Amino acid sequence: MGLPAMKLIRYLLLGLAGAIILAPFLWMIATSLETPEALTVFPPRIIPSPPRFSNYADVFQQLPIGTFFFNSVKISLLGTIGELFAASLAAFAFARMEFRGKKWLFAIVISTMMIPFQVTMVPVYIIMRYLGWLDSHASLIVPHFFGGAFASGAFGVFLLRQFFESIPKELEDASRIDGASRFRFFLTILLPLSKPALAVLGLFVFMGIWNDLLSPVLFLSTEDKMPLTFGLAVLQTVQHNGRFDLLMAGTLIAVTPIILLYIFAQRFVSEAFLRSGVKG
Amino acid sequence: MKSLRATNKSERGRWPYLYLAPILIGLSVFTVGPVIVSLFLSLTHYEIGLAPHFVGAANYRDLLSSRLFWQVAGQTFYYAFIYVPVSIAVSLSLALLIEKKTRGLAFFRTVYFLPVVTSTVAAAIIWSWLYNGDVGLLNYLLSLIGITGPQWLRNPHWAMPAIALMSVWKNAGYNMMILLAGLSQIPTDYHEAARLDGASAFRRFRTITLPLISPVLFFVVVVTTIGAFQVFEQTYVMTNGGPGTSTLTLSYYIWQMAFEFFDLGRASALGYLFFLIVLVFTFVQFRARKRWVFQP
Repeated sequence: MGLPAMKLIRYLLLGLAGAIILAPFLWMIATSLETPEALTVFPPRIIPSPPRFSNYADVFQQLPIGTFFFNSVKISLLGTIGELFAASLAAFAFARMEFRGKKWLFAIVISTMMIPFQVTMVPVYIIMRYLGWLDSHASLIVPHFFGGAFASGAFGVFLLRQFFESIPKELEDASRIDGASRFRFFLTILLPLSKPALAVLGLFVFMGIWNDLLSPVLFLSTEDKMPLTFGLAVLQTVQHNGRFDLLMAGTLIAVTPIILLYIFAQRFVSEAFLRSGVKG
Repeated sequence: MKSLRATNKSERGRWPYLYLAPILIGLSVFTVGPVIVSLFLSLTHYEIGLAPHFVGAANYRDLLSSRLFWQVAGQTFYYAFIYVPVSIAVSLSLALLIEKKTRGLAFFRTVYFLPVVTSTVAAAIIWSWLYNGDVGLLNYLLSLIGITGPQWLRNPHWAMPAIALMSVWKNAGYNMMILLAGLSQIPTDYHEAARLDGASAFRRFRTITLPLISPVLFFVVVVTTIGAFQVFEQTYVMTNGGPGTSTLTLSYYIWQMAFEFFDLGRASALGYLFFLIVLVFTFVQFRARKRWVFQP
């Protein structure tokens, strides 16, 4: 008897939580379609009428959003490729080879995940300065080919090693008998078989780089080099009094690709959580 | 097969290290090296362009005897003290709400996770606008029930709780996913047996769900606490540590020391003190583990 009522309450709560979580996004959209004058009035108008879509043209004209966007795409894509490269090679060695100090090395690699950026930030900055990479995209891209400036690569090594270990050893033996080198096996058989794991890792790494503020703020200084996060953070302080309409339009442009990517790939994300959560 | 094993063996030598080279070089240059260099720098006075000169423990002594350091440490704890319990309570509630095989489960899960994939910068900008004291949505909603909201981010008393609340919104979905994975491991017959025995929903939660989820909850508490101490981007975007120094957190203070005051030696010392605080807290949590985490 109480069951349908319970169910109704559950759905009401689910909907309420959803509304609270979505409200800031909806407010961002509403604001991005407002006129600047309407944004100075209290009480605020909930639905812009008529919606001013020209804000989106203005944002590209008045703010360097196009440049920021291009920088974000470039840094995130190249960085993701780099991290997949470094992590898959290392994971292959840890999963499939025997060598001296393997256990120790693996433990060290994993334990670097616990080092907070606050400790390494200053020396890493000095290194970048020394390399002459300050205010250049090299500082944001190249480290990923070596596992990332702030030890982000260790997670990838851990994830891929688990996956590589689950692929039957006989497969490697067979390909070796056919005369393929170990590296060839890795490149032409193991990696293609590992697409699901590489996709999940790539997704997380891409989101991580796209959303990162620390490294850009640390290494970059000129506006035309900035990715969206840094650019918007700067605009936020500059634009403080006024043009929230354009700032919200810019923010919407920044979050949309990542949200779409997530929605397309959300099945993988949930699975990754389920799999890694099993051991708690 | 035997000959194959033999060739494997002969290849043992340097090949694995070749595969490991990128990550080992990266970790040496960007993590292990800096950890050591930073310890050395913390014992010096160092500004970019000048040679570091050794000052012993002076940086640590000065920091530990400065009022601002303790104020900033206190504020960081204050943030964690609000953020950790509230966010975990919210995450657990969300996980419990969608746990059962409800229709539209995937939909709600996706919606609740959206803030997690949004960058902290974007979230902070959106919330700065929501928190706007004059024309913000939050104060408008409060005015509907007769409350005059404060100037959230410009008020030293409200700025920190406001940042914590934004962080709860931003991150709750992440722990929800981990807790969901934990909840899915609990056998359903436990609950059914208890229900047949007439146990109420609350009783079942306390005596079945909570103990069985407690190892996962422990993991979540530890990781969330470490994350809370590291809070940086929120203050960078929303308040710059202000008004005054009221939202200055340890991470932001280290940042300021290094890149606004250019005192790299003291920033390194601060970094190490920060690391120590995080380690002590994590250690204490592991010690307290037996008290509340269920071990079968």
